[in-house]
Amino acid sequence: MEDAELDRILSNHDEIQPSSGFVAAVMEAVEREAAAPAPIPFPWRRALPLFCLGAIALVSLIVIAGTAVIRAGNVMTRFTAVAPETGLFAAGGIGSALAWTGLALVVAFISVMASMRMVGSRG
Amino acid sequence: MSASDDQAAVERVLAGDISAFEQIVRRWQTPLVNLAYRFCRDRGRAEEMAQEAFLRAYRGLGQWRKDAAFSTWLFALATNFYRSELRRIPAGTVSIDDVREPADPRTLDGGLEEQDRDEAVRRAVLGLPVRYREALILFYFHEMDVPAAARSLGLPEGTVKARLFRGRELLRNKLPQVLAMPSLKEA
Repeated sequence: MEDAELDRILSNHDEIQPSSGFVAAVMEAVEREAAAPAPIPFPWRRALPLFCLGAIALVSLIVIAGTAVIRAGNVMTRFTAVAPETGLFAAGGIGSALAWTGLALVVAFISVMASMRMVGSRG
Repeated sequence: MSASDDQAAVERVLAGDISAFEQIVRRWQTPLVNLAYRFCRDRGRAEEMAQEAFLRAYRGLGQWRKDAAFSTWLFALATNFYRSELRRIPAGTVSIDDVREPADPRTLDGGLEEQDRDEAVRRAVLGLPVRYREALILFYFHEMDVPAAARSLGLPEGTVKARLFRGRELLRNKLPQVLAMPSLKEA
């Protein structure tokens, strides 16, 4: 009985009629929307050469940096010959590069995990 | 105006005839304004919300996939907007805990007026937590059609049923005396 009574009360909702100017107001807003200029598309034709230049610059930078690392590796190889206890990190060549890369990845992973944990503990 | 008229009007609008949108507005203005009114119980705001819902419908008309009725798509869009709008700026309502029953529902003239009692229950619905309030509003708006309410809310029917059950339970707990009263017709 209670449910039926509740259904009766909530079904018999007082209905309102939209005001006489409602349709006109909506159509005015729609026409304004339609008349508004379309959003300016992204200028791909102009931007594409710039993107290409940027990509070339990035690749050049990587090549230059790589060359510098290899030269530094040669220096380290000579250094290792003098001080062999510096081990794999100072060995030079591919092994040294992999060791440094691995170390960098581990440090990055630890710092990300630490920051996520700090944020999580604050939330 | 029928469902096929809706489709024809939509196709005309999409073809560039903006004036065809007026047919859609004329047909659906009363349901959309009333749906908004049930959410906010403020006539002015209901019209503003319905106007914005129509504008969004106009913008998104191309996204209506004709596998569902236009009305289903329109109600889902409007409901979604009304819900987010009411979350952004809540209606001027009170919490269900603050909805008070009359001190003595059985007054000298034989009881609380039926109209007052009904109004107390409707106000209590607006004081419910949002998930139960939305389910109850949509359920009764769609004339107690659970699948229609579920489609408008974008929720599974089972979830809507559970929310309706819990919402009714909260109302009954809050307003036991009011709901237990026989209506004037029965008395």
